[in-house]
This record gives sequence, structure tokens and C-alpha cells, in this order.
Amino acid sequence: MNKIVYFIFFIALGTVATAQTKMSHQEAEVLKSKVKNTADKTQSISSNFTQYKHLDFLSNDIESTGKLYFKAPNTVKWEYVKPFAYSVLFKGETLYINNEGDKSNVDIGSNKLFKELNTLIAASIKGDMFNTDYFAITYFKKDKNSEVHFAPKDPKLSDFIKVFHITFNSNGDVLELKMVEPSNDYTQIIFSNREINKVIPDAVFAQ
Amino acid sequence: MRYLLSSISLLIMVSCVSYPKKNNFVKSEINTTQVYNPYFSNVTKDYVYKANLEFYKKKFSGIVIIKKISDQEHRLVFTTEMGNKIFDFSFYKNTFKVNHILEDMNKKIILNTLQRDFTSLLKEYNYSRANFLKQNVKIQETKVLDKTHFYFYDSTTLTKIVRVDNGKEKVVYYFSNSKNSIAQQILIEHKNIKLKIHLKGI
Repeated sequence: MNKIVYFIFFIALGTVATAQTKMSHQEAEVLKSKVKNTADKTQSISSNFTQYKHLDFLSNDIESTGKLYFKAPNTVKWEYVKPFAYSVLFKGETLYINNEGDKSNVDIGSNKLFKELNTLIAASIKGDMFNTDYFAITYFKKDKNSEVHFAPKDPKLSDFIKVFHITFNSNGDVLELKMVEPSNDYTQIIFSNREINKVIPDAVFAQ
Repeated sequence: MRYLLSSISLLIMVSCVSYPKKNNFVKSEINTTQVYNPYFSNVTKDYVYKANLEFYKKKFSGIVIIKKISDQEHRLVFTTEMGNKIFDFSFYKNTFKVNHILEDMNKKIILNTLQRDFTSLLKEYNYSRANFLKQNVKIQETKVLDKTHFYFYDSTTLTKIVRVDNGKEKVVYYFSNSKNSIAQQILIEHKNIKLKIHLKGI
């Protein structure tokens, strides 16, 4: 009998520990303006990241690490360092790819999809995706942090990503980005050593 | 006219010479009936490779993830480095199921090529139809999806699989840097189209 009580207790505890409660409209508005305010003031971001690719059938998530650089308005460099060297750089009208030293580039000027992808990546790094034309948005409280779910409305995007989960700290900075696929497999990106508005050497964005 | 006919028939005869004969394989008396590919045989292991593809002058890259699900079933997923799924296939015995593929790639010719290439790569056990030797290399002939394949073993290590059609090499799989039944480097090279797939264990 005792065992059952303990069991129920632990299940209940587990639920409480990971519980996320929905935000009130007012709380959501406060978070939104905080994030937008931070995003508007952000001229640059440099950060480390750890990426976990979760596929349900695997024994372990696939882990990779790297560095992220952002310069307003839309320059983004996403650089994997381990376990392979690979980077993509969105700069102006071009997407530069460096695959283990093998360089190539794609003209995105005429490619609407790539342009949208660039905008989306830049927005998601800052967390500023509060556009209800494009996303169905739900707000949650999670301990001291907030988690916002952005479900794309455009089927072209929702075919790939069912929902984006962005976790913000109390200052409105992005801690974590999770992209959930329609199959429920996901990519989780956890940021660390995030530095805002620190000068990034031009060499970082040179290809 | 007679000369033309005889040269045509000679040509036909030459092109019909079997792959083992053309390559001076010697029939082996060893009676092994089983063909074995150890490289994706461990259900507890996640096989993860950085993949580079060359198709004519175009280059693509990404991550290939392979998992043995059960005795005769494998799952193979190709994603971009950033984690977006390009395709996701299940292989069970000789059947093939598409769990997901990008719309632009959802074409019969692409699917057929990928099905054949990966079925040959993943197939763990098969029946040997003939055994050969060439110097110290042991060679076994078998069929995968009704196509003739030759498996090359350097002592006991599988180093190469060749798919043959009309006595000619169509696709060659090279396995190198193998340790503990894991091939760190795999190259799948098509001989009739300019397609190469390099896999590097990560």
C-alpha cells in the first residue's frame, strides 16, 4: 500500500516539477514587450550553442556544438565546431556555406524561401517572432522562465516545423530554442555564454 | 558482311563475359553459404555519419543516421547539419517504406536509386550463390533486390561490395577504417551516373 502512495506521490511531484502554466494575457503582454525591447536594442549577439537532435528511434540524441554570431539587421553565422566543421553565413543577398573547408554559396536574392528562412533565423535568435499573421502563439510560465510556443500557420513551414518552443529568462533573453517536427522528433538548441552588443570582429563574417 | 557479323558476335561475347571471369576470380571450393555485412548489425548502436554527396557538378552535405531496429529492420534518416530531415526510410527484409521525404525529392527515379543503394548497404545476411578467390581476397556472389552483387573480404573484413549488371560494375561500396564492426569511411560510387556518396563516421 505504502508503495502505491509513494508511487502516486512521485508521479504528482514529477508533474509539478515540470509543470508549465499558461500565462495570463497581461503576463504575456509584459513578456512580449520585454523581448521586443531587448531585440530592438540588440545590435549583435555572439553565443556558444549545444544542439541535440532527437529522433525517437535512436538510443541517444546526436550532440553537436558550435558558435553563433548575429549582427543587425540580418547577418547570421551559424558555425558547427564539433564533431564536424560546418558553417552557414547569411550575409546580404548571399548564403555562404563552408563544409569542412569546401566553400560554396547560394544567391538568395531571388529565392523567397531562403529570404524567409534568413528572417526566421534572425528572429528566432532574438526570440522576436511575435507575429500572429505567421504564428499561433501560446505563452507558458516555467519556473522563473517563460516558454513561448510559435506554431507556423504557413503549411510550407509547418510541413517541416510543427512548432517552435523558445525559452526566455526573466530579462527576455533567449536561453533555448526547440524545433519540433510533425513527427515529434525535434532539434533542441541550448545557448550559453551569450554576449549582447559586444563588438564582433569583421573577420567572423568574412567568407 | 561475314566479317561484320563475326565482329558483332565477338563483341556480344566479350560483353557477356561474366564479371568473375573478366576479373580473374578463381572458383573457391570453400562452401560458405552465408554472406554477412557486419557494419550495421548492432541494435544498441546509433550509427551517425557526416555525408557528402556529389551529383554531377552539384554538391550536397548533411548527416546520415542509421539504426538497426530489429533483426531484419533498419531505419535510415538523412538530415541537414542543422537537423532538418531530408528523408527518412525504413527497410524491413526486402521492403522499403518512405516515412518522410522532401517534396522536391519525391520522385520515382530518386526513390528507386536510394532504395537500391541503401538496401545493399544495410542488408546484414544473405545467401551465397558462389564463392571465389583472388589472391588473398575472398569473394562471394549474391543477389540483392534481384541484382547480382559481389562481396569482397580481406581476410574476414568486408572491404567492398560491387553491384554488377551485364558483367559491368554499376555501383561500388568501399568500406575503410573499419574497427569493431564499424566502418569509419564509406564511399558509394555509381559507375553509370556521376553520383558519389561519402560517409564519415562521427
